[in-house]
Amino acid sequence: MRRFFVVLRKELKEMLTWQTLIPILLVMVLYSFLGRVINQEQKKQAAPQALAVVDLDRSQTSEMLAGILTKANFKVTTYTEGVVGDIVRKVASEKGAAVLVIPQGFEAGINARKPQTVQTYTILRSFSLLGMQGTFKLDAALTAMNDSIGDMYIKTGAPGLDPAIVKHVISAQSFVTVGGASAEGDPQAIVSVVMQQTMVIPIVLTLVIILAAQMIAASIAGEKENKTLETLLSTPIARGALVTAKMMAAGIVALVSAAAYMVGMKSYMGSLIGTSSGTSATVGQAIQKLGLVLDLRGYVLLGLSVFAGIMVALSIAVILGAFAEDLKSVQILITPLMMMVLLPYLMTMFIDINTTSPILKWFIYAIPFSHPFLAAQFIFAHNFTMVVAGIVYQFALFFVLATVAARIFSTDRILTMKLNRGGRASRLGGWTLQREGVSLRIRRK
Amino acid sequence: MEKALVVENLKKSYGKLEALHGISFEVAPGEIFALIGPNGAGKTTALRIVATILQPTSGTAHVYGMDVQKDAARIREIISYLPEEAGAYKNLTGLGYLSFMAELFASDPAIQHEYVQRASDITGLGERLRDKIGTYSKGMTRKLLLSRAVMTRPKLAIIDEPTSGLDVVAAIDIRESIRRTAADGMAVLLSSHNMLEIEYLSDRVAVIDKGTIHDVGTPQGLKEKYGKTNLEEVFVQVVRQ
Repeated sequence: MRRFFVVLRKELKEMLTWQTLIPILLVMVLYSFLGRVINQEQKKQAAPQALAVVDLDRSQTSEMLAGILTKANFKVTTYTEGVVGDIVRKVASEKGAAVLVIPQGFEAGINARKPQTVQTYTILRSFSLLGMQGTFKLDAALTAMNDSIGDMYIKTGAPGLDPAIVKHVISAQSFVTVGGASAEGDPQAIVSVVMQQTMVIPIVLTLVIILAAQMIAASIAGEKENKTLETLLSTPIARGALVTAKMMAAGIVALVSAAAYMVGMKSYMGSLIGTSSGTSATVGQAIQKLGLVLDLRGYVLLGLSVFAGIMVALSIAVILGAFAEDLKSVQILITPLMMMVLLPYLMTMFIDINTTSPILKWFIYAIPFSHPFLAAQFIFAHNFTMVVAGIVYQFALFFVLATVAARIFSTDRILTMKLNRGGRASRLGGWTLQREGVSLRIRRK
Repeated sequence: MEKALVVENLKKSYGKLEALHGISFEVAPGEIFALIGPNGAGKTTALRIVATILQPTSGTAHVYGMDVQKDAARIREIISYLPEEAGAYKNLTGLGYLSFMAELFASDPAIQHEYVQRASDITGLGERLRDKIGTYSKGMTRKLLLSRAVMTRPKLAIIDEPTSGLDVVAAIDIRESIRRTAADGMAVLLSSHNMLEIEYLSDRVAVIDKGTIHDVGTPQGLKEKYGKTNLEEVFVQVVRQ
């Protein structure tokens, strides 16, 4: 056990250098910064839009509409004379969002209860995601105007009748049900908050698994390349302790970076999904009541699933790393593992595991890294059996793989297995995985 | 007296390639024994088997009576192995590396300190031991590793190509160190393709080529037996026969 800690300390010293820490810190700072910038942009979008109203009718009704638009959170500037084209150009140059033209005879038409057309000029300036979101809110302006004219018609046509009742006689009191629990709240708001919680985990987990796997495979390959591994293998440390210390060091560094990424990512994702406006108290209560927040049990289960996922990745990386002769070959060897992580990451994002075909479903379940991705979804759906089954499966797989890894280290396979790029294989354009003459060829197209 | 190392009919195959065809030799305590032969002769394979990091296909090797396969863990407590062109952890300082290795061999801090002290004296690197290994020259790294290999006073030191790639001054330093520490009673098994080095260092040599040992004897004895003036000529003669 003492020797285990000696190696663990050395591994951590090797892994936790400024070269590894600075990129992690940079990612954290970068995402926090990005989140803040997006937040500010969104606040800018929420500010009143500048709207120029060209009132060619110059009537009471047209004047009233300008007032309505101001109330509907538009910054209205009214022009009563001039050529429309010139005004549009002027507004565009002054960074306005839109121009609305109320034609001559508008009031007369309204009073005659005839349909009226207004012209709108929407000024496009930015084609970024957020910029396009900020395009002139034509619908909001039209609804505000139609509402006010409609109210006017109801008031004059049927005095004593409340326009609000005429237009919205049916309203909905919406409840959301999860498992056996129901709570009052806006389904869309609730979904968006839950999505925020479930989306951050897979992104961070993918990064962490790949990072940890690369680190341990590189550590083994580096020791082989420097021939420090041969020295280490001839010292009195037990081979099992050596492998475990290496895995644990990579696991610890992975968790440290996971925490750092989580902080940065949370700020970034928060701004994307729009919690900048804040989760309202009723939504918060509903989420609590529905059990859609991770309580202690949820966190423990999710933590276990993530931990098991990292351990499986590390044991696979140890086995793959054993084939590496030098640091250069690590990238090639680790690729299948990266595929195994990215595949369930994308699939669990776009496929509903409950309704997909049984073959695809079991295929996803068979990939050990699907389980941490699915865990949060299952916990929110109160499907604890699946979470526990996933954890059990991952740990079982880990023990099998760790045994194989320890076996490789306790025999001379650790020195004789290799990814061979040379001789005949090279001429044929391929890679071979070799172990004492037994070779597996991977064709390279 | 118990032999430091007894190798009997040792064979090792990598797939179809047989690297050792059944070699046998013995090393006495305090003796410096060398395997001489060209690259690819099987020297490193033999050394790795004795160092317990490769398993023989057949045959046996016993270190102080312990079998390299069955008693590997116990053997590792009393040997040290220095691979050819080995490196050290570049992010550690020289002292950090020596402490790390000392902690792997001993649990008592006093003994660890003694090991590090002995190694520091042997390296002759002085204050440079506080610098990161990444800044060391090849010769400095080799001195550090050699001092590491002998600091625990192993009963058998296995040293692969002690001075390959080093300049003359560094090579002489290393040879001196090996000679001095062997005088304390440590058995040394080393390999080299530098016959002049072997002639200076070894008590006895084995001529190995293509996985077979052709002859064993003292450098002087071999030279007389074949009527040659140096080991290089002896080697050529032995291999041709």
